[in-house]
Amino acid sequence: MQTFKLSLLFIFSFTLAKAQTKISGILKTTKGIAVANANISLKNSYDGASTDSTGRFAFTTTLSGPAVILFSALNFERDSVQVNLDHGNLTLNLSIKEAMNQLQTVSISAGSFIAGDGKKGAILSSLDIATIAGSRADIFAALQTLPGAQTSFSESGLFVRGGSASETKTYFDGMLVKSPFNATVPDQASRGRLSAFLFKGTSFSAGGYSAQYGQALSSALVLESTDLPEKTTTGISILSVGGGVDQNIRFKNSAITVGGYYYNLSPAYSIIKQHHDYVKAPEQLGGNFQYKLKTSSTGMFKIYASYGRTNLALYKANIDTPAMPNYFSNRNFNIYLNSTYKEYFGNSWKLETGLAYNKDKDAGLMTINDYSRQDHLLEGKATVTKSFGQLSNFKFGTETFHTGRLESLNGLARTYNDQISSGFAETDLFLTQKIVVRLGLRGEYSSYLQKYNLAPRSSLSFKTSAHAQVSFAYGRFYQNPEDEYLIIKPTDFEHADHYILKYEINTTDRNFRIEGYYKDYNRLTKISNGTPDNSGSGYAKGFELFWRDKKSIKNADYWLSYSFLDTKRDFRDFPMMATPSFAAKHTVSVVYKHFIESLHTQFGGTYSFASGRPYVNPNNPVYLADKTQNFNSLSLNVSYLTHVLKQFSVLYLNINNVPGFNQVYGYQYSTNGLNRQAIVPAAKRDFLIGIMITIGDDTFVR
Amino acid sequence: MKNLMKSITLLLVLISLNSFAQNADPKFLQATKTGLEMIANAKGAEDYLKAENHFERIAAVETKEWLPSYYAAYCNLYAGYTTANKELKDQYWDKALLEIDKADVLSANNSEIYALKGAVQFMKMSVDPRTRMYLMGESAESLGKAAALNPENPRIDLIRGQDIFYTPETFGGGKAKAKPILESAVAKFTIFKPANTINPNWGAEAAKALLAQCK
Repeated sequence: MQTFKLSLLFIFSFTLAKAQTKISGILKTTKGIAVANANISLKNSYDGASTDSTGRFAFTTTLSGPAVILFSALNFERDSVQVNLDHGNLTLNLSIKEAMNQLQTVSISAGSFIAGDGKKGAILSSLDIATIAGSRADIFAALQTLPGAQTSFSESGLFVRGGSASETKTYFDGMLVKSPFNATVPDQASRGRLSAFLFKGTSFSAGGYSAQYGQALSSALVLESTDLPEKTTTGISILSVGGGVDQNIRFKNSAITVGGYYYNLSPAYSIIKQHHDYVKAPEQLGGNFQYKLKTSSTGMFKIYASYGRTNLALYKANIDTPAMPNYFSNRNFNIYLNSTYKEYFGNSWKLETGLAYNKDKDAGLMTINDYSRQDHLLEGKATVTKSFGQLSNFKFGTETFHTGRLESLNGLARTYNDQISSGFAETDLFLTQKIVVRLGLRGEYSSYLQKYNLAPRSSLSFKTSAHAQVSFAYGRFYQNPEDEYLIIKPTDFEHADHYILKYEINTTDRNFRIEGYYKDYNRLTKISNGTPDNSGSGYAKGFELFWRDKKSIKNADYWLSYSFLDTKRDFRDFPMMATPSFAAKHTVSVVYKHFIESLHTQFGGTYSFASGRPYVNPNNPVYLADKTQNFNSLSLNVSYLTHVLKQFSVLYLNINNVPGFNQVYGYQYSTNGLNRQAIVPAAKRDFLIGIMITIGDDTFVR
Repeated sequence: MKNLMKSITLLLVLISLNSFAQNADPKFLQATKTGLEMIANAKGAEDYLKAENHFERIAAVETKEWLPSYYAAYCNLYAGYTTANKELKDQYWDKALLEIDKADVLSANNSEIYALKGAVQFMKMSVDPRTRMYLMGESAESLGKAAALNPENPRIDLIRGQDIFYTPETFGGGKAKAKPILESAVAKFTIFKPANTINPNWGAEAAKALLAQCK
């Protein structure tokens, strides 16, 4: 009997220990949709299960008493429920809340295009910029394929949303670049000085940009330089117009890059007939130096310095006396220095400081007159960012520029200098992961103008679905008049108010955006009776479309931009409100790239269209009322990837205006208004052939 | 005598500690083996995700073991391989990187962890190579670190070989270039002995299969 009792006890305790509770149920979203592949687990045990495609799960446990069931799934917020395992099997009806992942979090985007490697919301990669047909790796030419920017060939610079070239400012790691363009030939645009390969990120803002940036009425082009190169490599490029070499040396925590180039266009000009009669075809020579030091796991110090010289001389057709063409020569030299230091302190503080220096000098002969012009800029900047919450931050900083110009004509000189000091504060507030507000304020003081300005900036974005968002921005932007007016006399700041509304859909392979804007210009510089004042004004309004698709055609990638622009202004020497000659009503660009693996070749094409642009016809009583013919251009490029002497190489060919469309930028009239000549490209067609070799790395690094 | 007893006790303690490390907790061992079987039998993304959930549950309890997070990351890597949806690939691989970081905290300077990290970084690059070129460098750095920690780890060569195998010839990849690296991987697999039955020991078959395609 005793033994029986004992064994009964044993059996009982045995079954007790082995008692299993079955837990089953279903997991749905708060909206009632089944969640598959979720993880259901019992806290402090391995027991649990995954949900099936209908959201169902079932598992058993030998645990007893009160317990916690945890449930989690990708893109959902982790949650839990309390249960008691002592009352037999459990059936649970669980619901889970959607989480926002980084990609699905709203971002501040009104007015801006972000290009960069691995950046959230990036529209183009650095490589994209470098390989657009017709751009020949020039950042500015590449950005002209984006909506908002005009295709402009007769003047250097980015003309954005009815703004002149001087209204777009270029920033290199947050520091202003005063002379981002190479020396120019009359009526021809020139390339940017900074190589597209220096940068890992580009943010092109057509309006509504951060309070960090001032002195730009229309647009800020923000370039972000690359960090340490991966390895020691040598890059050699041999082009039909010259060549360059750069040496990267990588140390453990630092790197040095030294480069040099020489271009001479005279052999090319002997083959490609030029519109101008060159006495000396452009000859360019330059070098640059970079040093980057990783000061800690989060700190980085960078220096970039460059030096360049250009020489050219030509005879330009003279419409008044065709027998006596106008002589023009230019010797340009440019020094640029940019140094920045960035470090994080603690978990939430970030310091960014920078120092930049730019000097640009042009000198030569215009017909019989000796001219020279020297621009300079010295800038210091410091910004502190404090992040709080998960995504929000508060940023404040100060910067000061010493800037000015010295110019002379036949020994008579004039000069002006200005110290512009400014302070700014801005906060990005994520009210939820679906709504973000940016509020900023920027104040500036100009010692030359002896005036202050205070500019509010704001933007608001909200997510309408997983991949779509709506953004709105308002901001006021101030800028000093251009140097050529300031040197005559100090006037006042020009200003513009931007209103932008945008809707966008972004997925990994496709982007769509539509953006409408209104810009109100006031106090633009106007020449009345030979002296500048601030009585000018103007407006620009329009809308833009952008579509990019990397998915629909295999191995191909294309984008399409359309801009509609309606703008009028009364500025400079305009007698009345008129649409300036740099503004086309309709602008279209289509960029297409196709990689054919078996041929190791990428083919690219860019088509640009711009409706006729206004020009001044002295015989028409209405100012700027005549329009040029429509502009058409088709450029093609081919990049063949191969190995030369066992080194990774790219053979490259670019042809601009392949079909030979007639392109007219405008007209020049004789003084009496009877004769005119068209302003046309330097050459009808233009080609560039080259080879780029990378030594020390047999994988594709650029 | 007292000293002798002390030494013996110490010895016993050391032996038991050592054997614990060797054999681990039988429950943990068993659960890990179950997970490895789930991986071995996995046919598609869903199966890998089931295994991943299983390892995540173990990781939540065994807060000192690096293997559960390591294998969870491994499952996410394969779930990404077997999914066509690019966005999901990205999410699985992002999660894998988080799990790799967790494993790294529990076991610093572990060649296996860096090798896996290099593989995931490379795959993340492949989702959108044009905008993610920088990940190629990061992947090379992780694999380099893994090789510095243990040059005999065959999985490093397998992953490198695999990356080169699938990189187009024009970009410095191709079968010819992958071949010697995969040969080295296969050779290293033949002599590789994991520290215990649950430590990483995958890849020998994949290396052979890939090498066969190089012929």
